[in-house]
Parts: sequence; C-alpha cells; structure tokens
Amino acid sequence: MHISFLMHNAYAIGGTIRTTYNLADQLAEQHDVEVVSVFRHRDEPVFTPDPRVRLRHLVDLRKDAPGYDGDHPDIKRPATSFPSHEGRYEQYSALTDRRIAEHLAAVEADVVVGTRPGLNVHLATQTRRGPLRVGQEHLTLGTHSAGLTRRLRAVYPRLDALTTTTEADARAYRDRMRLPGVRVEAMPNPVPAPRVAPADGTGKWVVAAGRLAPVKRYDLLVKAFDTVRAERPDWRLRIYGGGKQKDKLRRLIDRRGLYNHVFLMGPAHPIEPEWAKGSLAAVTSTFESFGMTIVEAMRCGLPVVSTDCPHGPGEIIDDGVDGRLVGVGDVDAIAAGLLELIHDDGRRQEMAARALSASARFDPARIAERYEDMFAALTPRGAVAGLLRRARGSLFGGVHAARDAGRSALGSLGKGRTA
Amino acid sequence: MTTAADTGTPPGTTPATTTKTTEDGTARMAAPRADCTADSAGGLTFDVCDHGAPEAAHLVLVHRTGGDEVRLPLTPVSHQRLRASLPMSVTLPEGRWDAYVQVAGEEPVRLAPGLNDLRSLVDRAPSGARGYVAVRIPYATKHGNLTVRSWLREPHAEAGDLLVADGELTVHGRLYGTGFTAEADAEIRRRAAGGPALRPELTVSGDDFTLRIGYDELGAGEWDLWLRPGGPEGPEVRLARLLDDVADKKPIFTYPVTRVPGAAGGELAAQPCYTLDNDLSVSVSLRAV
Repeated sequence: MHISFLMHNAYAIGGTIRTTYNLADQLAEQHDVEVVSVFRHRDEPVFTPDPRVRLRHLVDLRKDAPGYDGDHPDIKRPATSFPSHEGRYEQYSALTDRRIAEHLAAVEADVVVGTRPGLNVHLATQTRRGPLRVGQEHLTLGTHSAGLTRRLRAVYPRLDALTTTTEADARAYRDRMRLPGVRVEAMPNPVPAPRVAPADGTGKWVVAAGRLAPVKRYDLLVKAFDTVRAERPDWRLRIYGGGKQKDKLRRLIDRRGLYNHVFLMGPAHPIEPEWAKGSLAAVTSTFESFGMTIVEAMRCGLPVVSTDCPHGPGEIIDDGVDGRLVGVGDVDAIAAGLLELIHDDGRRQEMAARALSASARFDPARIAERYEDMFAALTPRGAVAGLLRRARGSLFGGVHAARDAGRSALGSLGKGRTA
Repeated sequence: MTTAADTGTPPGTTPATTTKTTEDGTARMAAPRADCTADSAGGLTFDVCDHGAPEAAHLVLVHRTGGDEVRLPLTPVSHQRLRASLPMSVTLPEGRWDAYVQVAGEEPVRLAPGLNDLRSLVDRAPSGARGYVAVRIPYATKHGNLTVRSWLREPHAEAGDLLVADGELTVHGRLYGTGFTAEADAEIRRRAAGGPALRPELTVSGDDFTLRIGYDELGAGEWDLWLRPGGPEGPEVRLARLLDDVADKKPIFTYPVTRVPGAAGGELAAQPCYTLDNDLSVSVSLRAV
C-alpha cells in the first residue's frame, strides 16, 4: 500500500512531527510511505525519519536553495483554500494553495493522510478520486474556533476517516459534527520503546518533562513538592523543558527555599535516559490533548501521578493500577498522590511494572496495525488483496527488537559508505 | 532532498548515522554517533556502529587544550556494534576531552553524541579510599559534538545542599580522599590577585562538614571556597559539586540572591554559584539601584 502524509513542516521540531515520523517509520516496514512537507526551511529535518520514508517539500523557504520560493509573487497573496480561521493561516498563501492542490490532484497513493485541520480541508476538497482521505486531528475539537469548526463541518464529510488522539475527542466529533459515512476513530499517538533499560525504581527522584508553559501548571507541582519535602526531604524533583515560565518558576523555587530539592533541568533530547533516572513521574496540566509524556514515562517504567484533566490522562492511566489520577489544580491532591507512591516502595514498584506492560499498547507496531485495519476496512472489497500486510511479524518482537536494533543502528564509521 | 537510500540500518529505528545529500547531488556521511553508558564505579563505555571494515578502529579522546590523546580499542560486542571502555583505572587528567573515532590508516572523525545513559552517576557516592575522586561526564557540546568532561581531585570536597538565610550562606558537604585533623580550617578567597582570604566557620563530623559564611564579611568580587582539612601545612581542597550526571552545574544549581549592606554604604548582592569547572564560589556585586 502506498501511503502519503501531508504535513505543515516536516523539517521542524514538534510533537506532531515526531508522532508522524513514529507512525510513518513503522508503516514503512510494510508499505511504501512518503511524507510531503508543505514548507521546508532547512536542509536536514530535525528528526530523522527512517531511510525508507521518502521526504519532499512543496514550498522551499531556504534562501540559499536553487528552488527558493520566498520571492514568488503568490507567496504574498492570501490563501483562499486554506481556512482563514486556522492557527497557521498567516503562513499559507496563494502559492501554497496552488502547490498543495497540484500535489493532491496528482498524488499517487492509496491513502492520503492530513495532519492538521487546514491541510485536512485541502485533502477533503482537492484529492483526486481514488485514494482514501484520512484526516488526523492532533489537537481537539474544543480548542478550534467557531469559524474553523464551521468550515470543518462543511468539508469533513468528504473525508473517508477522521482520527483523534483520544476517545473523548472522537466522541466530541461524532456528537457535535454531522459526519455521515466518515469513520471517526481514536488513534493514540505511537510511542516507541525506549532505547534504554527501564528505570529500576530505586532512585529517589520525581521527574516531569514538558514545555514550561502555563497550561502545564508546573507552579502547582513545585508547591506540591514543598509538601513532599516536609515529609520526605530525601526525595527530589527534576523538571525538564524550556519555556517562558522559567523565571517565574525559578522565583517560586527560591521563595519557598526549594533550591536543594527542585531543579529546572532545561530541554533534554532524547528524554528517555532522563526518565530512566527517576522512580516516579508527575503531570500537573490543566489540559492535555493526548499526554505523550505520560506514555513516554510509562514506557521507561515509571508510574505517573497525573491530574485527571481533559482529554488524554484518563485514557492512558488506569488509576490505582499503573499510576494515579488526581484532581485538576489541586496542590494537596498532587502532593498526596506523590507521597502515596513515595512512602510505599512496594506499591510503586508494582505500579511501575504494570505501567511498563500497559504502555506497550502505544507501541508504533500496534498503532500502525490499527491504522492498517482501518485502511483495510475502508478500502472497497476486491481492492484489498495485494494492498495490505506483506508480512506482519513485528508485533511481539517489537519491544526488544527495536531496542537492540536502535543500539546498533550507527551506520558506518567515517568510511564513506554512501548509499 | 533527503534520499530514501538504504543505509543498511535495521528496521524500525532511526539511523544514528544519516546520509546527507548536498545540492550537487553527492552524498556524504554525517557524524557517527556514540552511545555512552556510565557504570556505578564511574567508568564509561562507548558504543558505535561497526563500520564493517577489517581494519582496527579506536576511540580517541583528545584533551582540548593540552592535545594529549587517550586511545581506546573498539572491539566487537554484537552484531554491527563496537565498544570501547574507559574504566576508572585509565587516568584521565582534568579537562575537556573531545571524542573521535579512527579507523587504522584514516583521519579521525569527530563523534556526535547518541544516547547517554548516565543513571548510575545521579547519586554517586564514591569511597575516596584511593585518595582521589575521578569523575567523567559525557555531554553534547554547543556544536553538537561528543566531549567527555573529566575531573580528578586529590583529595576532593563535594558541595551538597546549600542554605541561604539571614544574610548567611551555609554549605553542607563531604570530604573524600583524606580526613580532617584538629587543625582543619576553611578559607574563602577573593579571586582577584592578592585578594584577602577569610576564615568561614567550619564544623566537622566524620567526613561531613558544614561551612558558614556571613555575607557581610565579603566585599564586591568573586570568592572561592577552599578547605584545609589538615590545617595550614596540609593540602588545599577546592569545594566543587561533581558527583552527579550534570556536566555543567551553573545553569541548573542556582540559588537565591541576598541583598547585603555594603561596608562603604550602598547595597551588595551576594549569590552562591558554580563556575564553569563546577567549583563553588560566591559572587558579590554592587547593586545598581
């Protein structure tokens, strides 16, 4: 099967990009996969896709590139196909309108996958007859403006399928949009097995990771840790990530005299070895459209204490089994959740083991299989043969195979083995 | 455009060595990567991919300023994987050591960092029984290369928790590689040449120690903290924070600023901080009002 992803900028850094590569890399084991990036602003993508995934762009923003499009007159003219209420509208233009339309009118694929609302609009209205049209929503319906929601309601019925990252958001689309004949399905973000051994659960460290943004409410986590310190001064907290809240958090830490217990570590990439240094993870957000860091921490063998905020955490964590869900915005509840697992080593270790096994359901192999099943279900009978699953042996071997392969995937050493 | 060339990478992984294609269409290899793992004794192993050639390969560490070299043989450990070990028994003088891989008969190639698994360094408590403490922390330079930062302290005074309160700094720490005598003393020295040395209050309990420094004794300038565990005739030991996985302490271990009335009127701002070498200092500056 030939699968073509359409992305805003596959060369940049961000959650949707990482997620799309995780899925594309996995699908490339069985299928012919390409990623088409509307924009290209640098020579090399920040995240490296699997070499079997073909990557190309439609509009070149590299000033030194021979195909530089920045001086094209149409790039100054406003877009009309790309919806004006979309968050990225200002970056789109008459030029992107035309390039995307040309791409979709000629696309040689069995399935075309859009990765944000504006691109899904292009996909729904401009894809040639034939390929399956699959729109992905990485944000949530509730966060779209009224204007965007109206536009999506008008064109999304022309999609074959719409995927959300949570069941809660899938329900919202089914309830609030009339999408007859459109398969609306929750497809969690794939998270690969870490390339490091899981945490052994003995370190007295709580770990959190994410942008230092107001929605993450790290101020609550710092305050909750003040309570933790009073009972267990031997435990400490590391918060990984950068962002505008940094100075504010720094002042809060200093004001409360927590500078020996709470550390702002800055951004870390890759993050897996940092999770593996902890024994417990914390998420204190007021909103998580999915909750990628929760899955990442669990895949590294950490139980997560998370606020039960919309939409993702409650669908990832089985409360009291492989982690804890606590009240949103509630410092005392966050502290109690942390202390419960800090005080009880046995219970924490038990939850850690369950977090490790439960989070395997987010392995790219499993998520890709769900996509394959969906593509098959949507493909007219008779057309299925020959399209799907040349082989499908990676499910059980996935975790160890991926880890082992990752460690040896170092290519050649200075010997110019060019492919 | 990135080519979908087959680099012989096993399926399902991100190739750690990527093929870059230049504008004229020729391909070249990006820097090879090394995964670093630290053991509980502080030794490091470096894993790099097998280049498939029969020639011997070495991991070469080059001291950034001195130019000294430490060559570690790369030996196969598994399918397509070579490993070099840097055990604690190999002495690595203090400094920054840039990591290269060299195949016999070829130029060394600078290594890029892969996955660093440094969990065993996080709460490290060495014995100090040999009279010294050695620390090696691999890190990514700002240019994206792999370098190993090495410390070799003989003996060593590790700075732990700091407390800033009531115009005073209290430093809790632990001495490694020697013991305190009855003559034990501490000094805080102004870094500027010929600056004075003051005697902070030192309390000792076994190898643990506590220093108390009144900020009002310090004038503007950078002040470095030292221990004299054997008294004036014994070794001088610089206070430093070395025993964890953080290569550069300065941006992460930060402490509140305290306002202190200056001797000549005006106001001073005092703040404990770590130097680029992770040594502990107190920075005192005139506050611009």
